[in-house]
Amino acid sequence: MVGFDRGFDRDNGAEGDRPAEAGAHGDSTVQDGDPRVAVETRTRGEAYADLRQVVRTGWDRHQRFDTPRSELAMFRAERASPEAMRIIVAADQGGGHGHIRHEGWVTEEASMRRVAYLEDPAQLDPGRRRAGIDGLRPGDRNHLCASRSTRITDPDAFATVLARGSAHPDVRAALSTPYDRDSRPGPVRIPIADLLGSDGHRACTGWQLEPVAGSTRTAVDNRRAWRTAIADGRQPDVPEPRAHPVPTFEGGTIVFAVSHNRQRNGYEIATLFPQSPAHDLTHH
Amino acid sequence: MDEDFYWKRHPDRPFATLIRITTTYLHPEADDPESLQRLARREDRPEMRVFKAELRQAITHPEQLPSDELFDHVQYDDGSDEAFLRRLWRELYGDEPPVTESGLHSTP
Repeated sequence: MVGFDRGFDRDNGAEGDRPAEAGAHGDSTVQDGDPRVAVETRTRGEAYADLRQVVRTGWDRHQRFDTPRSELAMFRAERASPEAMRIIVAADQGGGHGHIRHEGWVTEEASMRRVAYLEDPAQLDPGRRRAGIDGLRPGDRNHLCASRSTRITDPDAFATVLARGSAHPDVRAALSTPYDRDSRPGPVRIPIADLLGSDGHRACTGWQLEPVAGSTRTAVDNRRAWRTAIADGRQPDVPEPRAHPVPTFEGGTIVFAVSHNRQRNGYEIATLFPQSPAHDLTHH
Repeated sequence: MDEDFYWKRHPDRPFATLIRITTTYLHPEADDPESLQRLARREDRPEMRVFKAELRQAITHPEQLPSDELFDHVQYDDGSDEAFLRRLWRELYGDEPPVTESGLHSTP
């Protein structure tokens, strides 16, 4: 299986990320009422992206992170179970976007379309998402994405990263930087294994642009040109962007970006996302 | 990008400040050009004087940049280092020329 064959508008405007719809059930779907067979709730696009991720990286989408529940509960002692959900809700009260673009609710398909077509998972309006409009920045600004889009697939693992990362000395040092309204600390990288244990990388997946003529830089440039042509109603003069799964996150890091809080009187974690090790920058 | 950020691996090498600041404010996951524009106007920040000098140097001699480090860190889609650096200069310093006609750097 090569490439990414669900191109822009090829589903005739159907909402690709809708979590469940009757017409999208796979071949193995059975009629309601049979209690012994699971009903396929994913769209075809979601199932396609999931399958590619499974085949290329061995990702087990049913594997659940072994949650350190007591540890998460201690993160904010006044909060009750379920711990991870509450941590993510707490994150949602801030101005960060890590839980919106890099957490388990983002599907494999959405992650794939983000890096290939610059469709922002945080943009809840389907038309604006397909038009490449950012979902968080004000106005109609184009969404930006690096040459990869990555996520922590399990919400408990994400909450654990957030809890442990927030307590890590390097992140604490960044957050404790004397406040300046015009500047902010640089990003911090922490090994995935330090935050999630030796198997923690299995909770991470990602998609990366396929290099063009061996060049990731060219692929990034072409993606912008392709996106611009589509927005202008022109026929793109560059190839349609393609994406493939990041082979592995073993040995990788979690990047924490720090920015101003909503009150603009201190710093907070603006986002966090997994990054695979350097040798995976090239196409496998 | 290697195991850690360029400025961590080579804090004393040329362009470490340029790469650190552009990564901090312009990487797609943390894009905040407005803050960088405000910061660029701050004359009380010594690091911004270094940043401006390194940006000038990179525009004048892009071949001196450490291989693909700038792109790998910032992930811009301008087509080349030179295009990115010149756009950045315009956005931060407007019509101020990065280099005088004589080829010497203009004074800040």
